[in-house]
Amino acid sequence: MAEITQQDSFNNPSQQLRMTVYASLFAAMIAAGAYISLPIGPVPIVLQNMFIYIAALLLGPRWGAACVGVYLLAGACGLPVFAGGTGGIGRFAGPTGGYLIGFLAAAWIIGLISSKGKGRALFDIVAMILGTALIYLLGVSWLKIVTGMTLTKSLAVGALPFLPGDGLKIAASFLIAKALRPVMEGTTEPVTAAHEYP
Amino acid sequence: MAELNFGYLPGDSFFHRLDARVKLIGLILISIATLHARMAPLLLLQGTALLPLFRIGLSPVKILRELRYFFVLLFFVFAARSLSTPGEALFSFMGISPTLEGTLMGLLVSCRLLLIALAGMLLMATTRTWEIKAAVSRLLAPVPFIPHARIGVMIGLTLRFIPIILHQVRQTQDAQRARGIETRGFFYRLTRLMIPLMRRTLKDADSMAIAMEARCYAEERTDPQLNAEKRDWAALAGAISICGFVILL
Repeated sequence: MAEITQQDSFNNPSQQLRMTVYASLFAAMIAAGAYISLPIGPVPIVLQNMFIYIAALLLGPRWGAACVGVYLLAGACGLPVFAGGTGGIGRFAGPTGGYLIGFLAAAWIIGLISSKGKGRALFDIVAMILGTALIYLLGVSWLKIVTGMTLTKSLAVGALPFLPGDGLKIAASFLIAKALRPVMEGTTEPVTAAHEYP
Repeated sequence: MAELNFGYLPGDSFFHRLDARVKLIGLILISIATLHARMAPLLLLQGTALLPLFRIGLSPVKILRELRYFFVLLFFVFAARSLSTPGEALFSFMGISPTLEGTLMGLLVSCRLLLIALAGMLLMATTRTWEIKAAVSRLLAPVPFIPHARIGVMIGLTLRFIPIILHQVRQTQDAQRARGIETRGFFYRLTRLMIPLMRRTLKDADSMAIAMEARCYAEERTDPQLNAEKRDWAALAGAISICGFVILL
């Protein structure tokens, strides 16, 4: 696998094709993330936004945003990719529509900061925290506008319960992206060996 | 669940033969129309979405099984609506008192979501991925400043990747469960599930890119032929009038 740089991926057709396929793969991951859940106690944690972090960290700002954009477009057409297997333009107008737009903005900003930091840990973490803040900024303000709740109540319903999970997801995304960057950049071949299993 | 939700069922029904663009536009129209729909037309449309699903060989049991996660979401939507809408309380139990207005509202919203899910299921079951890809890129062609051909390809690839990923997740989770991973903490399980999963799917994506390149993939290509016949125009007109009717009612 050849090394992928941001510049390269827009000029070299072969690199561009590879990034197109990767971006589609991550869009599919975000959609599949609505079906993959790991229970902590009684509460299943949905992994959707974690895949957005990972996609942005690994693909950079433009391809990361393209990947989330394709996911949102597929959902807007009504294809069953949003949480719970629904889709439809209505989801953008509904109370959770702000989060969907927030995903797009977050993917771009996370990709931008992390590619400036060239994979340094601090940049990645700060990028993800800022991205999360952006998701909630757009998501909660839209929630407040649509439902007419007070700011405190919107925060209590639309942000606070998810923050501990998001902290975990940011830490996990950081580790996962760190483990996968060599695979993406071709410095190690991906191995499918038994030692990957605990 | 993924087998069907994102799967194509071969067949020769009316919906199979319909132009993919008409089906896609119809789905978008339905998702807009349901925003304002009332209960009666919603139930009617759900009936009309269910009939062709039965016709292409899906039993009610199978449809219920495919939608089981969806019903969990519906339940939460319903509960949230019935508890948060102010109005006359139906009953009070341990401090929980759903209101009549809220319950009706919750039912309505659930029915709207269910209709879109059924319509999406019908589209996915009767349309091949390449048809969706061609329809998306054809419909986006008049929009300026966006690479419509690439977006069509990306949506097609995304839909194809979803079942592959879900299959891989199931395999990995089964293998790890067999090794007793359930005793470990959440964080450990999360990273140990994701890293092998993503390594493998990235490898699949890599092979896919190489295979596409080897077959001389390029964005300027002859798209597969989509023919809109009289039947398709009639269906489109039907969809528009039904949706208009639903909105106005």
